[in-house]
This record gives sequence, structure tokens and C-alpha cells, in this order.
Amino acid sequence: MTFRSLAQRAVDTACARGAGYADVRFERGRSERAEVRNGVVAALDDATSTGFGLRALVDGCWGFAASDDLSEAGVDLIAGRAVELARAGAAVARKRFGEIPSDAHVDCYATPVERDPATVALGERVALLLDAERSLHVDPRISVGRAWIDLWRTDKEFYSSNGAEIAQTLQQTGSGISALAVGVGDVQDRTFPGDVGLYQTGGWEIVEAARLRENAQRIGEEAVQLLDAPQCPHGEFDIILGGSQVSLQIHESCGHAAELDRVLGWEANFSGVSFLDPAQLGMLQYGSKHVTIVIDNTLPRGLATVGYDDEGTKSGRSDIVREGLLAGFEMSRDTARLIGRKSNACVRAQSWEFIPMIRMCNLNLLPGTLPFEALFEDVRDGIYMESNRSWSIDDHRLNFQFGCEIGWEIKNGKRGRMLKNPTYAGVTPRFWNSCDAIADERSWLAWGTPNCGKGEPMQSGRTAQCAAPARFRNVTVGAGYRG
Amino acid sequence: MDSAEREELVQRVVARSKADATEALLYEEDFGLTRFTHGAIHQNVRSQNVTLRIRAIVDGRTGVAETNHLADVGIDASLERACEIARLAPPDPELPPLSSTQRTTSSDGAYVEATARASAEDRARVVGAIFDAGEAHGLWSAGYVTTSSGGITLANSSGTVQSHDGTDSGLNVKQNGPSSTGFAERYSNDVRDIDGTRSGEIAARKALASADPITLEPGEYTVIMEPPAFGEIMGYIAGHFSAQAYDEGSSFFSGRLGERFVGDNVTVFDDVAHPLNVGMPFDFEGVPTERVRLFDRGTASGLVTDSRWAAKLGRPNTGHALPEPNSAGPQPRHLVVQPGTETHDELIAQTERGLLVSRLWYVRTVDQRQTIVTGMTRDGTFLIENGKLTKGVRNLRFNQSITEALQRCTFSRELARTASYSYAMVVPSVRFERFTFSSATDF
Repeated sequence: MTFRSLAQRAVDTACARGAGYADVRFERGRSERAEVRNGVVAALDDATSTGFGLRALVDGCWGFAASDDLSEAGVDLIAGRAVELARAGAAVARKRFGEIPSDAHVDCYATPVERDPATVALGERVALLLDAERSLHVDPRISVGRAWIDLWRTDKEFYSSNGAEIAQTLQQTGSGISALAVGVGDVQDRTFPGDVGLYQTGGWEIVEAARLRENAQRIGEEAVQLLDAPQCPHGEFDIILGGSQVSLQIHESCGHAAELDRVLGWEANFSGVSFLDPAQLGMLQYGSKHVTIVIDNTLPRGLATVGYDDEGTKSGRSDIVREGLLAGFEMSRDTARLIGRKSNACVRAQSWEFIPMIRMCNLNLLPGTLPFEALFEDVRDGIYMESNRSWSIDDHRLNFQFGCEIGWEIKNGKRGRMLKNPTYAGVTPRFWNSCDAIADERSWLAWGTPNCGKGEPMQSGRTAQCAAPARFRNVTVGAGYRG
Repeated sequence: MDSAEREELVQRVVARSKADATEALLYEEDFGLTRFTHGAIHQNVRSQNVTLRIRAIVDGRTGVAETNHLADVGIDASLERACEIARLAPPDPELPPLSSTQRTTSSDGAYVEATARASAEDRARVVGAIFDAGEAHGLWSAGYVTTSSGGITLANSSGTVQSHDGTDSGLNVKQNGPSSTGFAERYSNDVRDIDGTRSGEIAARKALASADPITLEPGEYTVIMEPPAFGEIMGYIAGHFSAQAYDEGSSFFSGRLGERFVGDNVTVFDDVAHPLNVGMPFDFEGVPTERVRLFDRGTASGLVTDSRWAAKLGRPNTGHALPEPNSAGPQPRHLVVQPGTETHDELIAQTERGLLVSRLWYVRTVDQRQTIVTGMTRDGTFLIENGKLTKGVRNLRFNQSITEALQRCTFSRELARTASYSYAMVVPSVRFERFTFSSATDF
């Protein structure tokens, strides 16, 4: 049977067993990873997984069941199971969050791809990795070199009992290199691009854009130089963060804080809550006037770009922070209704086995007007930091401490000597209000995060934070090493 | 599938393979989780999946293919793909042969029928009891109740066949008041150990006792950590005992095996058969997992290995492989910290001034070689004065070297299984004489 006919059977069965609404998502996922580590292949995998997950709504409560059994009997079993789960929840629930959606789309979407990775021979992929990894070994102190490529293709079809039929083909691609240098009682690592590699939607062109071969020698040299570099000082400094670190800063201190399920306490026991409150919309000075952060799930190359989310809501663009003021949240249908808004298509599931939930998508800090180099001109005594190494933020998303792989002194507007172990700390709104410049669109990039953890059972999400380097004034630096 | 069906399938895979050597791993899981918040069950899930992972070796080269399409056509396609990948891979001069081991049996208590049979209604009843415990004190509850069963079977062309069935269950509850929160957890292979009323009440008492918290200045404190907090910390030192990390220089004791780094009361094992955390008795190469003494009375005394690293370093294979090939190297998966002699309550009673920490959040490594980690307290932090808990304390951020903290510490005699960020372990409560906090919050 086709997915379409199985889907009809699934939602019909769920409704016949008592669901007021049901939707089902069939997925065929393919994940290819190639990794070279110290000249040896550490991964050369091709994994496929096919299955479906069904949500049933009974008496305002959801049940979700999933299986790899694509037979008619398997579909019947899972439809009935989802209804049973919903009914079991309804029996003890003091509140109900679910309602039948009012809209239903019939559409299809495919990631724009310039060069289909399937046309790139496996031998060519491995040759690139072997070359790049070899170039990292510039010194005997490079103990570990790594180079990797991830290719993810997902074909998914979404159907609902109120008529939605959405077919999507998504292609996500990533690659990177890293070098670990070992000295006396010290290890230092450098990663490129950013801190996890370059991950975007698209095909082989994303691997080519990463320019692994061209940067490997420099990355290896920097890892070794860090062993002998002076320790980053402790104190208050103006700092400039590289684009990938700004991306991490957005992810942790804005992206997660603005997930409406957290704000409402739905993640309280694990990922935590949020310092934000719907009553602060339009009132809270989240950042300086330079700070505008938007959700844009239509952005070309954004790692989270899709046509529709996993509730069947069409992707679009909306504000989270507009010129410093809190303007919105990342929302699902049920959470949006609780604050009188409509979903902005931020619901994702890791794969067919997982329940859809609010996930950070493409969350973009809009670029400023200064060339990157001009950010340095107005700094007398500061630190420039690149590539995240350590990241921690409290369960309200306020008190953070981040460490970077590499830093440089800034003296009188000029970048100076290299510094090791840079860390900085702050409190979210105070930090974003200290932002006084963001570099322009020439250094703005869709930085993807391929492994964002959230939910129970834990789901790994693929998000993006598009960012350019930015400058922040009077920031606490060095706390990680001073206690 | 039962284990006999899984065994038949993996042996069929190996028999159909045209590779020089073949390993087939079959994972099966039936997983249920009921998640709740604000008096509602908002995520009520059950999923089932079976995954076949094939490792094919051709001319000293490795290819891996994975599928959940288990009909012969799916198996043959994956075998063909694994061989095709292997033929295109570069040769691996250090590739060890596939394991050839005797069958090993799971310890008692790994599989409990009552857990495997637990239903959504059973989980909902536990949730209802938690709601009752919170509402009795004017608190709202958030957390989950989970039950799962699964099996893993491995066969390879060197004649190894291993199979394991296991169950698991767990409960995690956070009770929430206007100015404070409290946490409790319980994990067991046997769902009958999961008690919503008891855990709901423990979490509620913590929330109530930490209401209207005070702000403390950051600095050095004596700190008692309960198992959920201490487990988070220990999760960040486990990887240092990997033979790979040791040899490549990223372990705190690289090149210094056999030297003392922490207090002589610190003994830590990796023990897959511990009754509080019974796990799979073999690794992902099919090699029986040995009990390894990692710290012996303060001395870094052991490394965990897999077939590659055992051969490379000339050490015994302890059976700690992840699915091969991989980048992480062998890893401990079942840490057990040897308990002390005093009770948890005695640790508190003997503390003149300090902090009791119930749980940590977002612990991350700041410096690998110095074992410095940062993170936050959450869900029940208390001031101890003259041996008694006197006030709730607003949450604090710490930056602390783990090995330095373990140089002066005392363990309780009670042990508990906790689920850290990465995996489960068995730990006591601990009192660290010096633990460094770097900043405070206003919640």
C-alpha cells in the first residue's frame, strides 16, 4: 500500500476508535556519515529508517504512538494505541491543552539543491576528508585530527483527519574539521567552520562552501599555537564575538528562552523554564536597539528551513525581538492558542519515532551596517573570541557562561596576540543590552546546530542561528578559570 | 521479537553475507513515556522499532549499513550497501579481527516481566499520585514516568553470538511553588519500585523547605550533593578512563596510570552487573564486559578498552566497545562509586556551615586536562548551619575541578541509581569540603 492509503486507514481507524482528530507522519530517513580520524576511517555509514508516528486527540488530550510496521494490521494497532494513550491521559488530567486544528494544507515542498550529494562518489567524499585531515597534522603535537561529512535526506508525508496532505523532501548537509593539540598538562582544540562544522539545507554545495582543504593547515597551526599562548585575563572587557559564537549565544540565551512551551512550564522538569512571560511582549527591553531577532523558516540554506512544520503549519517569518523589544515566541498550535496567537510553525520531531514538539528553527539576528573590521576600531582594551568550546546556562536561561576555543587581545582598535582559554559570563537581557554593533551582511552566515537536545524522551533537533560577528561592552571575562 | 527470533535473524544476515567478515547487530525497543505538567499529561508516547546494523569487512576495509526493513530484500540491500561502502573505503591497518567469544548471560534482574507489561494506564496512575502529592501542598507538578523493554542480539562470522533482554522504568518529578522547586527521581529495572506518592512527596517537601530562598555570596563552600547532582559531576570524568583518551593525551591522568589523584576513600568501578543498574553484559563487539576498577583508593588504576585499543596498547580487552567503527573509543557505561560509612543525614549533621545541593543543570567541561566543569544548581538548594538545613538558597553557578573536589570528600553509605545527562550510574551522596561557586542568581 502507498503511504497515502495507509494514512487514510490510520486516521480513519483512530477516529473510529474515539479520536476527535488524528494526524499521521510517514518518514523515510537516510543518514550517511563519513569521518576520518588520524588517517583512518572512523565512520562510513549509510543508515535508513522508515516508519510512522500518529497523534490522536481524545477529550482534549493527545496520545502519540509510532512504529516501523507498515502493514495494515500495524497501522490499525498504532492508531488504536494512540487513542488508548490519549484516553489514559484524559482519565487523570486536571487540564486539557489540545484542540482540533482549523486549517489543513495540501501541498508539497523540496529543499533546493544545486548538486545532489548522490552524484558525488563515495570515493570522492573520502578523498576530500583524507586530504583535509592530513593537512591538520602540521606538528607532532597534533594528537587527533578529524574530518567529517554528514548527508541527511528525509522524505516525509503528513496527513490529517481534517484533510491535510503535505509531502516534503528535505536535504541537510554538513561537514567540518577539528584538531586536538596536546602539550604538557594542556590540551587545545580548534574546529572549523565554527564549533561544529557548517550545517545547512542543500546538497554537496554546502560541503564545497565549507572549504575544508583550504583551512585545515591554519586550523592545525592555531591548535598548536594555543598551547604556548598566554591565558586569557580575568576582568571586565569589551568583547567581539565571531559569527558562530554569536550564533551559539542566540541559541542558548534567546532561542531556548523564547520557546513558548518552556515559558508555559511544559519543559520545567528537564530543559527548564524561561525568564520570559507573555505579559512582557512589547514591554521587555531584551536587548539594545541594534538587536532584532526573527524566525524565518523559509530562509535559503537555513538548517531548519522546511515548507511545513510537523503539525502541518506553513513556514513563515515572524519577530522574536524587534529593535530590542520582546515581540514574540516560538509556538505550536496548542501553546499559541493559550496566549491568543497563532502557531508560527516551530514544531518538529527528530524522526518518525518521536512526538512533534516546539523546537528552535531558523532564528536570525539581523545584520548591522559596519564592516567586520570596523567593530575593532572603537575598542581600546578588549578580547575577540571565536568558536565555542564550553556552554552552560541556567534553567531560566539567564545566567550563562561560555568558553571559546581561541581569543585575541584587542588593543587600541587592533587585534593583538593570541589568548588561550577565553571564557565570558553574563545575564541574558543585560548582555544583549550591551550589544552596540553588529557586522554587516557580508559576514552574516546561516550557522546550523545539528544536535540541539530537548524533550523527554530526548530529541536531537537541527536548528540554525544566522549571525554576523557582534560587539558587547563591559562583559565579565575569565570566570571559568578564576572560580 | 523474542531473543530466539532475533538470533535467527542475525545469523541469517551473517550467512547471507559475501563479505570477508560480517557482524550483525539487532536492536529492538518498545518505549513508553508519560510526561506531565500543570495537572495535564501533555506528552503521552509509545514507540516501537527494530534496527539492524551490518558491519562488513572486505580486504581490511569496513563499511556499515543500517536499516529497519527486515525482510530478506531489505537485508540483502543493506548487505550489498555495506560491502559496496567497504570496497570504497581506505584500508585500516589497525583493524582488529571480529571477536570470537563465548556466550555470556545477563545478570538477574535485567529483565522484569512486570515492566515489560506496564501500560499507559499504569503510568497514568503513578502520575495521578504525583498530582495528588503536589496538590496537597498547593504545588504544581512536572515530570515523567517511563517504562521500556528491549533486546539486543549480535552475531558475527567469527562465531560470536550474544543476546540480552532488558527492561527499564523511571520517574522524574519536579514540584513547583511560587518561590521554589523540589526534585525527586527513581530508576529501576522493575516498575514495581516506582512509587509516585513517595517521590511526589519527597519533591514537595524540598519545594516547601526551600521557599523564600536567600541569596548567598559566591565563593568556596562545603557542599553536600545528593546522587542526582553527584552523578552529573561523575558523568564528566568517566570518559577520562577510556584507553583512547588516555593514549591521545586528553585524559587528566594521561601517561600517569597508577598515580594518586584524589582522596584515598575514592574507589570507582565500571560494573555492568551492579544490582541497582543491571545492564547489557557484553559490548557492541560481543565481548563480555568486565568489572573495571577505575579509581582504587584514590589512584587512577584502570582503563576501559575495546578490541582496537586493547591491541594497540597491549592491554586486556575489557569489553567496552561502542558500535565499531567510531570516533569516541571505548567508554565506561555503568559507573559505580563505592559508598562510605556514614548516612546521608550524618553528613549533614556533621557540617557546621555548607550547602545541600539536590540537582545540577547544564554541566559542561571548561578545561579538559584540569577537569574543570561549570554548571548550575537547581530544584532544591539549602543552607546548612550547625548540622541542620535552615534556609533555601537561590541558585548558584560553579566552576570547579572535579579531581580537586574529590581530594577532600566523604561519601554516604546509601547508594542510588541516577540518570545523568548521558547515562545511568550508581552513586552515594558526597560531601566536598571545598567547592567553588562563581556567581549567584535571583531565583
